[in-house]
Amino acid sequence: MDDHTSDTTLTRRELIARGAGALVTTGVAAAAGMLLHESGDAPQRKPDAAARLPDYFAAIDFPQSNPRISIAGGTEDRIGQMVRAAVNGLAPSQGMGAFVSSGDVVLIKPNAGFDRPVRLGATTHPEVVRGLLRMCREAGARRIIVTDNPIEDPQSCFARTGIGDVAREEGAEVVLPVRSGFREVMVRQRRPQRAAGEILEHWPMLFEPLAAATKVIGVAPVKDHSLCGASMNLKNWYGLLGGRRHQLHQAIHETISDLAMLISPTLVVADGTRVMMQNGPTGGRISDVQAGGRIGRPVVVAAVDPVACDAWCFENLLGRDPGTLAYLEYAQRKIEVAVSQGTHRFGRCDWREYERLGQIASSGV
Amino acid sequence: MPDTGHTRKGSAVGANLLRITTVRIIVQTLCFILFLSFVLLTSFANLDRHPGLRMWVSKFIEVDPLISLGTALTTHTVYQGLLWSLVILIPTLFFGRFFCSWICPAGSLNHFVGWAFNRRNRDERIASNRYRRAYQLKYLVLIALLAAAACGTLQVGLLDPISLLYRSFTGAVLPAASMPTGRFFDDPRFYQGALLIGSMLFAVVALNLVIPRFFCRVLCPLGALMGVLSRFAWWRIERDEAKCVDCGQCLIDCEGACDPHLRIRSSECLVCLNCIEQCPHGARRFGFLPDPRDSIRTPDVPRRRAILAVLGGILFFPFARTSGRTTRAFASTVIRPPGAVEELDFLERCTKCDQCIRACPTNTLQPAGLQAGLEGLWTPILDFRIGFCQRHCTACGQVCPTGAIQRLSVSQKLGLGEFRGDGPIRLGTAHVDPGRCLPISKDIPCTVCEEVCPTSPKAILPQRRRHIVRDGIKTVVSATARTVTILQPLEDGTADNASPVLSPNCWQGDGTTAYLADVHHLDGETETHRLAGNTTDTLRIDGSFARIPQAGSRVVVHIELTAPQVDADRCVGCGICETKCPIVGDRRGIYVTAEDETRSRRHRDPDRNRSVRPVRSAE
Repeated sequence: MDDHTSDTTLTRRELIARGAGALVTTGVAAAAGMLLHESGDAPQRKPDAAARLPDYFAAIDFPQSNPRISIAGGTEDRIGQMVRAAVNGLAPSQGMGAFVSSGDVVLIKPNAGFDRPVRLGATTHPEVVRGLLRMCREAGARRIIVTDNPIEDPQSCFARTGIGDVAREEGAEVVLPVRSGFREVMVRQRRPQRAAGEILEHWPMLFEPLAAATKVIGVAPVKDHSLCGASMNLKNWYGLLGGRRHQLHQAIHETISDLAMLISPTLVVADGTRVMMQNGPTGGRISDVQAGGRIGRPVVVAAVDPVACDAWCFENLLGRDPGTLAYLEYAQRKIEVAVSQGTHRFGRCDWREYERLGQIASSGV
Repeated sequence: MPDTGHTRKGSAVGANLLRITTVRIIVQTLCFILFLSFVLLTSFANLDRHPGLRMWVSKFIEVDPLISLGTALTTHTVYQGLLWSLVILIPTLFFGRFFCSWICPAGSLNHFVGWAFNRRNRDERIASNRYRRAYQLKYLVLIALLAAAACGTLQVGLLDPISLLYRSFTGAVLPAASMPTGRFFDDPRFYQGALLIGSMLFAVVALNLVIPRFFCRVLCPLGALMGVLSRFAWWRIERDEAKCVDCGQCLIDCEGACDPHLRIRSSECLVCLNCIEQCPHGARRFGFLPDPRDSIRTPDVPRRRAILAVLGGILFFPFARTSGRTTRAFASTVIRPPGAVEELDFLERCTKCDQCIRACPTNTLQPAGLQAGLEGLWTPILDFRIGFCQRHCTACGQVCPTGAIQRLSVSQKLGLGEFRGDGPIRLGTAHVDPGRCLPISKDIPCTVCEEVCPTSPKAILPQRRRHIVRDGIKTVVSATARTVTILQPLEDGTADNASPVLSPNCWQGDGTTAYLADVHHLDGETETHRLAGNTTDTLRIDGSFARIPQAGSRVVVHIELTAPQVDADRCVGCGICETKCPIVGDRRGIYVTAEDETRSRRHRDPDRNRSVRPVRSAE
């Protein structure tokens, strides 16, 4: 251009070039404007469609006559064997093989919610997690994920509780909650009715590991809980929630029972090695914790019925009346509806019914 | 990294490697990488896993003589690792400002940017590297900062290059780099004032295009300190007047603008050694004890300006303190990290390097804006809306290079074991805001604060509260053993003919909330029942009435739910209650203020006694 601008006259060539340039720019601007033009209201950001969770029990061929709850007692230096005995009690001939098949991706959900050492009993005992990891590996699991969305800083929680180290030692992946791993998950496809004890329609959950998994095993410590009575396996699913989940404490029984309905686990394991009897769910003093709770010696409970498992632990480990724990009853009601819709799973408040049917196994208690 | 610009001498790679400037570039690069590694390593997870790292991550601050001198002036001590500054200070006395061109990561950054963005031709480069009067400003800055430090306020960190760079990486660069890449942090980090902190770094970098190494030449107080110290240097650049033809070539890459073509200004020379490489006649060398007449050894600072700078520094202190921001009119929102010393001591020690902020696992530590006064700019404060002080974490104190935050053990922080007598370190005290707390102000069950409260016993007490619900006083129309049908009474006590319309089961209650009905029989006796549910006009009770209420009796419906109450004796001010409070606004239903923080109670200055609780005989 420089050589032309020094001229006083415009050449024909330059005139054409300028004209063409102006025309092309006009065309591009007009085309871009038309293409991007929004004639209606300003478009709203659309939320992502809510995802669905699979039934992690569906693929399991579990004999109706097998025990639903299995209790194993022992000592704190034999936790691995206790876990094994508890799981084997549910399926005497197959053990973990009844639940995990070769090629499975297993998600293990401990409670790693607090940056607290094992002795304070606020989190799942890492040796219980280790026992499960080994059994899953032996049963042929292709990949094992250990995940939780703790209340305190995730890295410190997994470090201090010892769960992170155990997972790494046993060759499992620790998946820390990162924002990208969360996704809205559909809990029910209609507006929840508060009067019927419903609260969730959809909510952000730690979806990535849940989607990757073919089997899900919950493994929760048994603890006192200031707000909802006790934190056991049903409350443990709270740790998969994202978002401002503390808002849900305004309807905590509704939330816990909604999660009990939403998540159909392969297996749940209650860690009764160090039971937090008071000042839960945080604890903080050794005196808040009692080995095995009311039983007085460490126990591990495995169950296919998470509701009955919670009821059993609430009564036998914490020494309280399950009739006072509102979320158990809500959960039973909600799961009953799910069972009637053909979903294969269990949810019974009254664990004594299993006792009558001879479906509680126990060893070493 | 910066090149000397020319490779006229020897094209062989071996010869290049032997050049002293090549060695310098390698050292600079390694030091910058080391600095960056320390920044990246100063995360809670790393410190927790490898406790030995704590010895190393603060090294760049610890070797910084300005930090040592500043804190020595304010506190009359040299804290722990700050003795390492002798490692830089002593060689400076012999070699001059070698730190600036060999070690300093900020200097290297400026050096690199100045080189990479250099579009000047030969004459312009020579002109840009001539000494200017403006370069005396850094000495005035240094004088003012040291005068303020002598009075008792440490402000050197505002412009100290190591503090500045560390702060910028923590508060702006890493979060910015994390935003598109998702690296460095699991979740996005938030730092208030990141725009200002980041812009300051950007300005420092960008000004290299106006004047090469603008920051180093014009502003850097550390460079100024070293400039003063280099007057004793035994080695410096020496000009061989017999060989020198005054071609000006030595100015082409001169980093310090120290007039190597005339009498060299040793206080400005950054010992980059480029002039030795550039001189086509071999007239420059780094000589041992050269003729003192060849150099200007003292900085070019007119005495009257120096006096004004001293005055400015001294006046800063009373001007800042007169606000009362650090004493009587302290901001109770300024909550310092666990182990922080008392506020006036804190302002003598904190260098605003923000390493503590980098180490904090929950993101609660923030570089302060003006909350703590202008004096406290970029010092660490806790923002409980972003995070909370994690109970078993003492990372901030572990990395503090100057003792502004003491190195605590976990048992010391929690007041366990041998520290039982001292009690836990308290950062402040939580207060319930009854106007916003859900159970208190809106009858919504909550008490998340109690759930997450980490002390044992909990510092938040669940209080059962009971009060009459809105339109809760009704008149009985009819009743059965388990139900009453009701009407809204009029003000004169007679029944309204219009039926009350309740939402079905609005008074049902659940595991955390109970609705109770007091039935006042006509003879004045009362009985109370929990409500099991309701229809539009009929209440159903749990159980059955002792006496079936007659028409005209009064029913009073109460709600009973749990509300939090803070036990000030137990509260440590960790702020997790405020973080986890489900109220999303910037005012939570429970909040922590600095009142009754441990660090102030140790110094019973009446102005700073922040106690909110009655003095107990035990203390």
